[in-house]
Amino acid sequence: MLEVRNLVAGYGDMPVIRDISLSVTAGEILLIGGENGAGKSTLLRAIAGFNRPGAGSVWLEGREVTGQAPEKVAQAGLRLVLDNHRVFPELTVRDNLRLGMAALEKSLRGSFDALEAETFDVFPILREKYKARARDLSGGQQQILALGQAFVARPKVLMCDEPSMGVAQALLPPILSFLRRWAQSGTAVIIVEQHLKITQPYADRAMIIRRGSVAINCPAADLDAQLANLHAERSAVHVGE
Amino acid sequence: MLAEIAVILIRGIAIGALFSVVAMSFNIVHNASGIFNFAQGNIFILGGFGAYLLANGAGLGVWIPALILVACLVGALTAFQGWITLLPLRTSTEQDSWLISTVSVSVILAAGLLLIYGPFAYTVSGPLPGYRIFGVRTPGAFFLAIVAMFAWYFALRWFLNRTLTGLAISALSQDMEAARAAGIPVRKLQLLAFGISGMIAGSVGFAVAPIITVSPDAGLRYVLSGFIAAVVGGIGNNTGTLIGGPLVGVVSMLTAYKIGGAYQDLALLLVLAVILMFWPQGLFGRAAARRV
Amino acid sequence: MTATSATPATNPAKGSSFNSDRQQLMLGAVLILGTGLLPSLLGNAYWEHTFHLVNVYIAVSILQNFLFIDAGQKSFGQGAILGLGAYGFAIAFGLHGWGFLLATLVGVLAASVGGLLFALPALRVQGFHLGFVTMSAAIVFPQLLTQMSGLTRGINGISVSLPDLAAKPFLGLSWLTLLLTLVPIAALVLHYIIRNSRLGRRMRIAAESPEAARSLGIMPGGMRALAFVIASALTGLLGVLYVPAVGFISPQGFLLDLSFIFFFAVVVGGRGQLLGPIIGVWIIFILPSVLLVQLVEYKPLVYGILTLAAVLVFPDGIVGSFEAARRKRTQKGGGEGGFRLAAVNSALASLTPVPASTSTEPVVRVRGVTKRFGEVTAIEGIDLDVMPGEIHGLVGANGSGKTSLLNVLSGFTPASEGRYWLKGRDVTRRSAAQIGGMGIGRTFQNPRVFPFFSVWNNIRVGLDARRTPLDPQMQALADGFARTMAEDSPALLSHGQRRLLEVVRVLMKDSDLVLFDEPAAGLSPQEREDFGVLVRHLSRRLGKAVILVEHDLDLVWGIADRITVLETGRVVASGTPADLARDPAVQHLFVGGDHA
Repeated sequence: MLEVRNLVAGYGDMPVIRDISLSVTAGEILLIGGENGAGKSTLLRAIAGFNRPGAGSVWLEGREVTGQAPEKVAQAGLRLVLDNHRVFPELTVRDNLRLGMAALEKSLRGSFDALEAETFDVFPILREKYKARARDLSGGQQQILALGQAFVARPKVLMCDEPSMGVAQALLPPILSFLRRWAQSGTAVIIVEQHLKITQPYADRAMIIRRGSVAINCPAADLDAQLANLHAERSAVHVGE
Repeated sequence: MLAEIAVILIRGIAIGALFSVVAMSFNIVHNASGIFNFAQGNIFILGGFGAYLLANGAGLGVWIPALILVACLVGALTAFQGWITLLPLRTSTEQDSWLISTVSVSVILAAGLLLIYGPFAYTVSGPLPGYRIFGVRTPGAFFLAIVAMFAWYFALRWFLNRTLTGLAISALSQDMEAARAAGIPVRKLQLLAFGISGMIAGSVGFAVAPIITVSPDAGLRYVLSGFIAAVVGGIGNNTGTLIGGPLVGVVSMLTAYKIGGAYQDLALLLVLAVILMFWPQGLFGRAAARRV
Repeated sequence: MTATSATPATNPAKGSSFNSDRQQLMLGAVLILGTGLLPSLLGNAYWEHTFHLVNVYIAVSILQNFLFIDAGQKSFGQGAILGLGAYGFAIAFGLHGWGFLLATLVGVLAASVGGLLFALPALRVQGFHLGFVTMSAAIVFPQLLTQMSGLTRGINGISVSLPDLAAKPFLGLSWLTLLLTLVPIAALVLHYIIRNSRLGRRMRIAAESPEAARSLGIMPGGMRALAFVIASALTGLLGVLYVPAVGFISPQGFLLDLSFIFFFAVVVGGRGQLLGPIIGVWIIFILPSVLLVQLVEYKPLVYGILTLAAVLVFPDGIVGSFEAARRKRTQKGGGEGGFRLAAVNSALASLTPVPASTSTEPVVRVRGVTKRFGEVTAIEGIDLDVMPGEIHGLVGANGSGKTSLLNVLSGFTPASEGRYWLKGRDVTRRSAAQIGGMGIGRTFQNPRVFPFFSVWNNIRVGLDARRTPLDPQMQALADGFARTMAEDSPALLSHGQRRLLEVVRVLMKDSDLVLFDEPAAGLSPQEREDFGVLVRHLSRRLGKAVILVEHDLDLVWGIADRITVLETGRVVASGTPADLARDPAVQHLFVGGDHA
């Protein structure tokens, strides 16, 4: 569904990610972890078109979308839910959701009401706050709204940048199971997350980015073991100094 | 005495309503793209010339269709100007480029009008009768100005809050990146914003032609006052312009009556300087005036 | 030992230079000589008069160019400034019979005051807003002239004749002609001199990046005011010369259109290029005047169209486009001969180490610093000590307050509570520019490398910021850079090299303390190692204290002497790398740390 080959990207001349490749298929959840500054957000942004890659390519369902404007990439079916639960603060929950679908051609919009209803089933809080302005919602509610906004667009690929940021711990499992079900319905999903322990059970595969390159790439089940190795290596170096 | 104050107020508010309208047209473009369209004043005057050309002295039967026609034509022209202005910009807004291009379009418009119509002020008569207020004959167009301000204010409010397209334009100013991530077609909407701003300025210029100076060099006064009205209310905030516009209009009228018409622009300059020094964000400001 | 290999391997054309300012200066002077003297030499009175005017416009446009690009100030009111000079002189000399020199002084003073008035709003706002204020002033100016008819004779204007200036000492050239040729050339030369001086460099930085300027001890507001005064005083002088050139001035001669001409000329000619305003005036003013002699009314239309075309098709302007093409062909600075980290490191490694400080006084002492932004508390109750020569790492997640703390320390944000001392002095209430001038250096997340300076000049601005003389070893290092990097273009540098450039600039500045803001972002693993070596040299060889705000934990653990960990605005751990590696409070920072 989504394939990334040897991507090099950053900000202006500053290369943050170097030579990263990955692929995600429909129904699969790829978890990407790594420290702050490792390049996880930059990777997502480069795939979505916010940073023009210096080298490498991005393929969506076999068509190349490298370096296209973010709007175009979103219209082609790849949705990035930005970090920090960004929604349109002055608009109501209802209007935020409506805008989620605005970019699609009418024929592709499907039944907005049905999709909206499905979102409400999983997150009744949105129905409750339907008329409220997004800026009056809590961080967690905004994150759910942002996800709902992407959901109604029925993207082929969904990328989620740190959904846990600014969200109460307790909210994370329901969000993650929502994403799991979403994947099962045929979407390819990438989740960038710091909280690996909580997220890992929901993922199929896992990748760790370190200093702009891939350090670990394995099935989710093997992540613990691989991380333990990595950590042990580094600790030895740090303590030994 | 009371009569004089009343006249100053009414005329001031009416003229201020025009500044308010220009400010609203500034706002929609600025909210969508970060650009201040310096040509807005001349676009407004263009509407006035439209009235001179198509509906001078005509009755409502001609006036109304002509109004719509002029609004659409001026809107289209402004959208075209927007396309030219945005062309070198791609995604970023490099200020020098749009500043220079909007100023030069403004100069071109004024020069073009000068070539066609010469350095004269044209009188346009409208379809509405005048009324006596406090013993002073006040042309109907003064009231039309105030009506136009509210009409466009509410129309914009409805558009930006109730239609999907309007919501999308509104979203651009709230979080441009999130808008792009949602697939909202930014460039198209920016062009639409330009077009709408042209419709606003052009239609109102047409409607109030009887009370404004319809002459090729009159645009500057409106750009200046419209900008101040926008700054006073808080750039990007249309509700702010409802106060900013009339405020500037009353100051302008007060200066004209008490000190002399030739000092109006000086008074406006001082108001602008004071506001920028002490309250650059305006009354309801969201975006600061690029504080450094 | 120089910091780079002596023979650049991959460099094109010999004698390539970073910019063509010198050639432009020569050519410009020649052109002005031409427009100034030729008409008189050829004995054509009509053209002589026209070109007097042209030279005035050229000079004012040169000053506008300086104000616009070298100082970054958008003024749409230089026509009013010219008018102030003209009227000041005409009133004093023509109406009150004051002496020529005294009247000239009045004109220049009037214009300078005008410039200062423009500078006031420039302290608060920039960009479009400043342009608007100056534009309004330019609109109001002729109106005031008309109104204050007691002083100015209003719309009747003032006639002034200066028969002495019409005297022709030799070759049929009048004094006026000579003055109107030499003064514009002087303006051009002055522009060149300022640009290549310490003042000019610092002014340009303030225009481009007020933040970087402050970190180098420059006050952007002061620079702006100075630029306005310089430009306005000289424009005032041109205003004085304008009077005898036209013989009669009136408010109608100083409308807003005049200010637009200068601005348009700068843009069409090529903003920032020395020759730009000259070519700009040729195209915008002379060409239409010659071609459209019969069609005066078409002039404004032509100006507008030319400028619009210029900004769309030749955004760099005529001269700018040539310059861009020339640079593409001849620029040098990349490759083997270029600026390299490993080379800089070996240069530093060969320096005799500064004796280790025996002081027990910390370079940085922070007590109870809190910073709030409205309702949000970015950092709270921070205590920190950094000793001379110590490398101190500052780590934590996004939002932990690292950058806020850095900004408070360097003076870019005032602390809400608490106090802090730098080199023993309480600097809690000091501005960034003051701290920048105090021997503190900092780098930014995006390296502030200026494309309009050569690589050497980018480094040199660090030297410009010094208050004390440079140590002889460092001087030798600097001389090496000056020799090899003076014509190199920073456009060819990779990100890593730019990062290095910024560090070397900080080295050249007085900096007992260096603050690094996420310096490793964008560096390759090899570059990070080299950077680590560089930081150790700064500390061990040059005795500098270093605070390193960084995400790359391996880098920090590898070189820091002590580390402080921030979380949601508070210090949660502080100690040596070895201690902290074992500290459970710190584990979760490391990916997989919670798997340990």
